[in-house]
Amino acid sequence: MDGHFRAFSFVDRITRPGMNVRGLYQIPSGIAEFPLALAAEACGQLAAWTGMAAHDFKLRPVAGIAPVVELLAPVRPGQLLELESDIDSLDAEAISYNALAKVDGVPVLRLQHCVGPMVPVEEFDDPSALKQRFELICGAGALPGAFNGLPSLPLEVTAVDPGKSARALLHVPASAGFFADHFPRRPVFPGTLFMYQVTELAARVAAGVAAPSGNTSWVPRRINDTKLRTFIPPGTGLELEARLAKQEGAALTIHVEAKKDNRVTGHSRIVFMAEARA
Amino acid sequence: MSNENITQEEISAMFPKAAEMIADALGCDLEKVQPTTSLINDLGAESIDFLDIIFRLERGFKVKIPRGKIVEQARGPLSAAEFEAGGILTEAGVARLKVYLSEVPPDRFQSPLKVSEIPKLFTTETFCKLVIRQQRAAPAGETPAA
Repeated sequence: MDGHFRAFSFVDRITRPGMNVRGLYQIPSGIAEFPLALAAEACGQLAAWTGMAAHDFKLRPVAGIAPVVELLAPVRPGQLLELESDIDSLDAEAISYNALAKVDGVPVLRLQHCVGPMVPVEEFDDPSALKQRFELICGAGALPGAFNGLPSLPLEVTAVDPGKSARALLHVPASAGFFADHFPRRPVFPGTLFMYQVTELAARVAAGVAAPSGNTSWVPRRINDTKLRTFIPPGTGLELEARLAKQEGAALTIHVEAKKDNRVTGHSRIVFMAEARA
Repeated sequence: MSNENITQEEISAMFPKAAEMIADALGCDLEKVQPTTSLINDLGAESIDFLDIIFRLERGFKVKIPRGKIVEQARGPLSAAEFEAGGILTEAGVARLKVYLSEVPPDRFQSPLKVSEIPKLFTTETFCKLVIRQQRAAPAGETPAA
């Protein structure tokens, strides 16, 4: 079946369109996991619908800059995500917004000051299909349950200096289901999956740092200053380097940089907090 | 909009905070961000970085910076045809740009100069002046952040 609006779409229904857009996404119960990065994707997609509608589906935003992503609580398959995106500014060059995802009214993820550069829709997707989809999700809503989960995205860790740094190769798959949806005319590795992967590598570094007390472990709580400098097409190999940048009491900051042919293609700073083990 | 009467004192007052934001956006050491540093040529800034810098300045100084209109502002009273022809700045266009970007050392203005290459001239001071202009343009009753 065509993966458009199925393989990587995370807004089932828009309950209030506009600059303070609200929506819902039912996480399918049959999948193994739903990383918080995908809740971030859902918030971004909600904002993107407002951006596209405002430009009559001629322009769309893509992932660019995420200054602050707060990882507040895990989400599980079967839960209903309540999505809020408040648009600060929107023009032909960019959209900027703050967003929140909640489960049962409790915040699970917050985005602050995100910026998405605008690109021509036609290069990436079918404008009329997007318009039809927008009408559907603003009305009766889409049938939930289309997402089948993420494919395995293995990191090839090539070097670890425990507690200090780690290097890895991120092999963006040459083909994966989500590329049919992100995006049909020009497949691009989603920025939120980039964040997911760099957080995984940062966790390898954090694991080598002694926690402040015996019954605590490092938990990723914020992803700061993420910026994607270029589109990452299928089949790309990225060199990731994670480095301990700062340790202050119960907080660790790890800087991760991605390079392709010695050019920095993206970076993030991941903040881990020492928390009592569950 | 006039910009020639922006004083060095105003720029100096703006510089430390603006430089910090630019360094954060580019992920570089603060010391590398000097008043006449070219953000593209010296610090490797790309278009996404300019977007990042503009939004940081907007949040930090509580101004709205008109995006995509810097060249239009630089043109000043000149018509588009007087400013450039076929994507290349005219003599009058270069003269006008040198006034608008008075902070840029004259030897950085190449000849011929393409419109698309104007951002290569932008320095830290260029962004300080951009913020100062917008603070001055803020509607009456709105107090720009210091």
